[in-house]
Amino acid sequence: MQSDLATNNKQKNNFEKVLEILKTMALKPSGFIGLSILIFHILLALMSPYIAPYDYKAISPNTMLLAPSAEHWFGTDSLGRDVFTRTILGGRTALTVTFFGSLIALLWGGLLGIFCGLVGGKIDDVVMRVVDAFLSIPWILAMLLIVSLLGTSTQVLIPALGFFYGKGIVRVARAATHDVIAKDFIVSARARGHSNMSIIWNEIIPNVRDAILVEGAMRWSWMLLGFSSLSFLGFGVSPPTPDWGLMISNARGLMSFAYWSVIAPIVGLSSLIIGINLTADAFAKALGIDRSTKAPV
Amino acid sequence: MKYILKVFSATFMSLILSFSIANASSGVFKVSHDLGFGKDTNLDAITKGRLFQVVIKTQNRLVRPDMNGVPSPSLSTDWSANSDATEWTFNLRKGIYFHDGSAFDAPDVKYSLMRAKDPDIGSPVRKSLNVVEDIEVVNQHTVKMKLSTSFADFPLLLTDYRLRMIPEGSGDTIGQTGVGTGPFMVDKFDPEGTTILKANPEYWEGAPGVAEVHVIAIPDAQARIQALLTGQIDMNRYVPFNQKKIFDSNSKFKTTVIPTGNWRGMVMRTDTAPFDNPKVRKAVRLAVDRQELVDLVMGGAATVSCDTPVMPSDQYRLNMDCPQNISKAKNLLREAGYPNGVELTVYPATLEPTWPTIAEVVQQQVAKAGIKVNIEMVPSKGYWNEVWMKKPVSMTRWNQRPADTILHEAYHSGAKWNESYFKNSDFDKNLADARSELDFNKRKKAYQNAQMTLWEQSGTMIPYHVSRLVVTSSKVKNLDAVDHFSIQWHKVKVD
Repeated sequence: MQSDLATNNKQKNNFEKVLEILKTMALKPSGFIGLSILIFHILLALMSPYIAPYDYKAISPNTMLLAPSAEHWFGTDSLGRDVFTRTILGGRTALTVTFFGSLIALLWGGLLGIFCGLVGGKIDDVVMRVVDAFLSIPWILAMLLIVSLLGTSTQVLIPALGFFYGKGIVRVARAATHDVIAKDFIVSARARGHSNMSIIWNEIIPNVRDAILVEGAMRWSWMLLGFSSLSFLGFGVSPPTPDWGLMISNARGLMSFAYWSVIAPIVGLSSLIIGINLTADAFAKALGIDRSTKAPV
Repeated sequence: MKYILKVFSATFMSLILSFSIANASSGVFKVSHDLGFGKDTNLDAITKGRLFQVVIKTQNRLVRPDMNGVPSPSLSTDWSANSDATEWTFNLRKGIYFHDGSAFDAPDVKYSLMRAKDPDIGSPVRKSLNVVEDIEVVNQHTVKMKLSTSFADFPLLLTDYRLRMIPEGSGDTIGQTGVGTGPFMVDKFDPEGTTILKANPEYWEGAPGVAEVHVIAIPDAQARIQALLTGQIDMNRYVPFNQKKIFDSNSKFKTTVIPTGNWRGMVMRTDTAPFDNPKVRKAVRLAVDRQELVDLVMGGAATVSCDTPVMPSDQYRLNMDCPQNISKAKNLLREAGYPNGVELTVYPATLEPTWPTIAEVVQQQVAKAGIKVNIEMVPSKGYWNEVWMKKPVSMTRWNQRPADTILHEAYHSGAKWNESYFKNSDFDKNLADARSELDFNKRKKAYQNAQMTLWEQSGTMIPYHVSRLVVTSSKVKNLDAVDHFSIQWHKVKVD
C-alpha cells in the first residue's frame, strides 16, 4: 500500500514536472511558436488521411500543373495530382521515420555514452575511437550505400538513421556523465558496492537525462532534414507515397513556371524543422541548460 | 605602277586573311553526357561503354544517314551490289587522313568492321554485323563485303552509329585516344570531368565551325538543365517536355522538337519468374495506357508504340492499336496462375529524366489489373552496369536504329544487348527470312511478323517513340534539326 502511494506520488510529481516544463516553454514567445508549430504538424499528420480532399495517387493528364484555385487550393503537380492533398499527407512518413529514428539514436547513443563515461579506461578509448571513425564518414554517403544495398523501406531507414544520428549523442552523453561521476553520490554508490548497471540506472541517468533529451530533440530536426534530403535524392520514400523531399525533387525543375508545386512542400518541411528547433531550444532553457555554452562535445 | 601593285597586293592579302579568319574554327561548343557507364566509359565506339557524344564527333562511318535517314556517302563515296545482294562493293573516299596522320584506306575498313565481329570484344553490334562473312580488300580504295545471305538493306546496316572507321591495329588504344577521321580530335579524355575536343583543320568536309568541343560529365538530369540555364553547357538534347516553358519565353535559348525513333521502356527479364511466363509479361503490357503515358510524361510529343522498337517513320514498322485492356490483363494473370495479381519492383534512375515518371504512372495504371509495382530509385552513375540486364525489371532507353538493326540487337536470341533475355525461334527465323528476301513486300511481311511476335511474347514494354526536345543556347548556329547520329557536327558554330 505504501509502495503504491509512493509510486502514485512519483508519477504525480513527474506529471507535474512535465507540465511545469511545458508551461515554462510556452511562456517564452519562441517556445510558444515552436510548440504550436510542432503540435500543428503532429495533429495534421494524425488527421490528414481523414481530411485530404483527393486521392493522393490519382493521376490525370486533364489536371496537369493547374494553378491554385478553389478546386485545388495548392494547384496540381506534373502528373495532375492535388498538391494540397499530397502536402498535408507529406509529413506523415517523415515524422514517423524520424521520431522512431531519434528514439533509437537516443537509446543507443545515450546508453553507450553513459557506459563509456562511467567505465573509462581502454574500453572507453576503443569505443570512442570507433565512434570518431564513424563520425568522420559523411552520413549521406553511408546512408546511400545502405539504401543501395538494403532498399528504402522504413524497416531499413529507421535503424540506419537511428544509428548515424546516434553517434553524436554518444559524445554528449559521455561528456555529461564525466560531469557527474566525480560527484560524491557516485563515489558513495561505488563504496556501497553497487554494480555499474545500478549506478547508471539510479544515479547517472536521472542526472544526465535532460542534456541527452535536449540533444535528442535537436537530432530529431537534423534527422528530418537528412531524411528529406534522402527523399530529395530519390532514396527515401518510394513513389507514390507523398513526401515533402520527394515532392520538392519532382517539382524543382518546374519552379520557374509552376511554383505552387514546390512552395507547399518547402513550407511544410521548413516550418516543421523550425518548430522542432524552437521547441528543443525552449526545452533546454526550461531545464536550465544553456546550449550556447554547453555545446556538444 | 609599283605603287598600284603594292596597293593591289596589300588588298589581296587582306582579303585572303579576312577570308581565312572568317572560315577559321572559333569558339567553344559545350555539351554534356550522363556518365551512365561510370568507370567503363571509353572512346571505342563498338563497346558497351562508348561515350557516343565524343565518338560521333571524332570518327566517321562508311555510310551515314542523310537528313531523312536514307544511307548517304561518308567515307565511302558510292556502293553497288551483285544481283542477289550477297556481295557489296564500296568505293572509298581518297585523300582522307586519320588524326594520327595515317592515311585512311581499305585495310582500315576491313579492320574496323571485322573487329566489331570479334567474339573476344563482344560488341553489342556484333549480332547484326554477323551477316558479313568476309571483307576483301580489292585495292587501296575499294572493299568488297561478302554476306552470308542476301541483304537488300545492307547499306542501312552500315549507318549504325557505332560502325566507325579507326586506324588498322589501333584496337588496343582506341578506347582512350578516339582517333578517327572526324571533324574533331580528342585533346584530353576525362570521362568523369571535361573531355576536350579540338577542331580538325584538315577535315575532309571543311574545317569545323568551332575551335573546341567540351563534353562535360553531369550525371543528374536536372543538373544538366541547370547547367544549360547557367551557360555551363550550350545544348541539352534530353529536356523533358514539361520543362519546355522554361526555355520558350527566354530569348537566350532556342527549342526544337524533333520526331525520332528513340524509345523508352520497361524491361521484364523473360528468364526470371514470374516473367518467364509470356502471359504475365503480356498482362503487364496490356495493363498500360500508352496514350496516357504520352500525355503525362511527354506532354503529347511522342508516338504510341505497341511494344515495337521500330521507329514510326520506318518502312517496316508494324502499325497497330493497343489500348489498355484491364480485363484481358486480369484474365491472362489468372490463366498464368496468378489470380491475385503479381508484384514487381522497378529500378529507375534520374539518368533518364522521364524514367521515374514513367514508373510512377505505370504503377498507377497497372494497379487496376492487380499488378503491384514498387519503385526503388537507384544511382545514375553506373546504371547500365549495375541495374540494366541485372534486375528482374529495369528501365531502358534506346536511340533509333534501322528496323533490322534494332530487332536483331535488342531481341535476337544471341544478341549481347538482348535486355529481356528474349528467346523465340519464330522471331529469329522471321529476321533471317527478312534479310535474305529480295522482294520488298515479302521482306516487309517478315519484319512485321517478327514485331507481331514481340507484341504477343516480349518482355519489353515500349509505350512510345519520343519526339526530342532539343534546347540550345541561342549562340549555337547551324545545328541540324535531326537525330543525334545524323547531325553534321563540323557545320555547328557558336557566336
